[in-house]
Amino acid sequence: MLKSILSLLLLTGFSFALYSQEKISQTFKDTRVINSHSVETLPKRKLDVRISHRFGDFAGDNGGYKTFFGLENATDILFGVDYGVTDRFTIGLHRTKGAGSMPDGSSGLRQLLNGVGKFRLLHQTSDNRVPVSMTLVGVASLSTAEKIDDNPDIIRSFPKFAHRMATHAELLIARKFSDGFSLQLIPGFTQRNLVPFEDENGIFSLGLATRVQLTKVMALVADVTFPFSERRTTENGFYTPLGVGLEFDTGGHVFQFNVTNATALMETDYIPYTTSNWSAGQFRLGFTISRLFNL
Amino acid sequence: MKAIFSTFSILILCTLMAWRWPVAEKAVGTKEKTALLTKESRLAEVLEQLGDAPSPNEVNTEMDMVSAKTGEELVTLGFGRGPGGFKTSRQSKHFVCTSCHNIEKEDPDLSISDPQARLLYVKDKGLPFLQGTSLYGAVNRTQFYNGDYSKKYGSLVEAARNNIREAIQLCAEECAQGRSLHEWEIESVLAYLWTIDLKMGDLVMDGNEWSRVEQALEGQGDKGMAIELLKEKYLAGSPATFVTPPADRKEGYPMVGNAENGKLIYELSCLHCHEDGRYAFYRLDDSRFSFKHLDKHFSRYTRYSVYQVARYGTSPLNGKRAYMPNYTLEKMSNQQMEDLRAYVVQMKK
Repeated sequence: MLKSILSLLLLTGFSFALYSQEKISQTFKDTRVINSHSVETLPKRKLDVRISHRFGDFAGDNGGYKTFFGLENATDILFGVDYGVTDRFTIGLHRTKGAGSMPDGSSGLRQLLNGVGKFRLLHQTSDNRVPVSMTLVGVASLSTAEKIDDNPDIIRSFPKFAHRMATHAELLIARKFSDGFSLQLIPGFTQRNLVPFEDENGIFSLGLATRVQLTKVMALVADVTFPFSERRTTENGFYTPLGVGLEFDTGGHVFQFNVTNATALMETDYIPYTTSNWSAGQFRLGFTISRLFNL
Repeated sequence: MKAIFSTFSILILCTLMAWRWPVAEKAVGTKEKTALLTKESRLAEVLEQLGDAPSPNEVNTEMDMVSAKTGEELVTLGFGRGPGGFKTSRQSKHFVCTSCHNIEKEDPDLSISDPQARLLYVKDKGLPFLQGTSLYGAVNRTQFYNGDYSKKYGSLVEAARNNIREAIQLCAEECAQGRSLHEWEIESVLAYLWTIDLKMGDLVMDGNEWSRVEQALEGQGDKGMAIELLKEKYLAGSPATFVTPPADRKEGYPMVGNAENGKLIYELSCLHCHEDGRYAFYRLDDSRFSFKHLDKHFSRYTRYSVYQVARYGTSPLNGKRAYMPNYTLEKMSNQQMEDLRAYVVQMKK
């Protein structure tokens, strides 16, 4: 026991020694890539007000000119705030409409309150003694949708209060390879407390995200998340959420314009429920506005 | 058993007596009589011994909660210790005093304001090169918000021009875009500033001048002349001349830039606030992206133009009150602006 405590103390001391090295900043410029979180946490006492929007299908059966390429529909909308409690710990609260659905059209959780916690474990250093940055992310989503009692086959029957919830945890491992290129790996686990018949509650996933800086202000960003589930195959009507976007950082303001097949905005929603297919034109335009304030 | 109990009680009593609540501390910089003139002698004391009028910047030590330590915290961290020893609310969400002011000597010769001499001096001392005048020796000055600052702050500078307390308050409210300081906080800041007042060794004096002051102190020389001599050795206030960007921004100021000097300005001045978003939302670093962006905007009329923001500054806006103060001519010369531009051009390639 004593040995373990001693080892832990030594390890903590070692970690702090590493932290004294010069840290690599801005592996990503925002706390989100497109659909995924980025390894970045907010600086202490910064408030990040965020608005994200995902429009309807650009093309395909529900897109095209009749919906003005999806701009007349909104699949998901997020507004909320993140706050830097310390330089390494960020909390956030966001409201989303909820947009995920099963291939048969039955919907996932709707009208969600999403709590987010991010803790930075490691910060990449310039001398490579710490080669990567690492952040732990936890997301808890709670559906505030009205309960529908008389239909036990749908998720919104909510037999128990806990069935309103879905959670997600992930470890972000990122490296800034140069001023212009960053890469991030995202192993994660999503737990839904109530799922459609024969679906699984827990899903492991692996995501990949990248950022290519084009100019001081503009960057190309992309992310993809692969759910590890036998049921989540294209044959069963599920598709891999993939997004690409252009990000503009004007100093305190980050504006992102993106295209993705994911209809939903939170991990608890888009990882288990992406059923839109890029090749069928079921991708959508989206944007995110992030504005930092000093508190 | 009784002995153990007594010893324990005495120990507790001693601990309680030794323990001091932070606000109870009135660690105002004490002024001891200068016996001999040394480099460590405090200028204010020497002047007083020579018969000069007492400084108007004396701390009101009668006021409750006044402490040099609290003053130091307010200056460097932005909060102090209020009633009960608890942290006060932060003075400003955006800045602390040291965002724009050094707290060490920053000019090799305090009798002149030469930005190039200052740049080389702060480089050697490991200090940043900033828009504001160093707070070191601020209590020895009698004039504040001088020269063209009236163009920026209008009538607000009138009360602050000859009053250090008003100057501190103006700095808190306008420069730092924060809350007003309480009276005891202003006195605490003043108490801290007295711990970084000018010493005789800070003045550039030759042996003859030093002897004249010494003799006057010993009653063998002209005290009035000695006072005059000492006051010539430092500025009573920082001159401030507002200048405009070059008429032709593409051509720049009519000087050839020195990239090596520009590197110093970029690292000691620009990066002080913009590196990793320390005080600014607009981030700068040593990447080519930063230099290309600065170069592209140098000659423009945008908020990213160095000419524009260095000479005019930016304005605090609702929701974005972290603004950039301008550089007066005494804080960055036109030559230095061109040096900075030369460095940016060199680094963008």
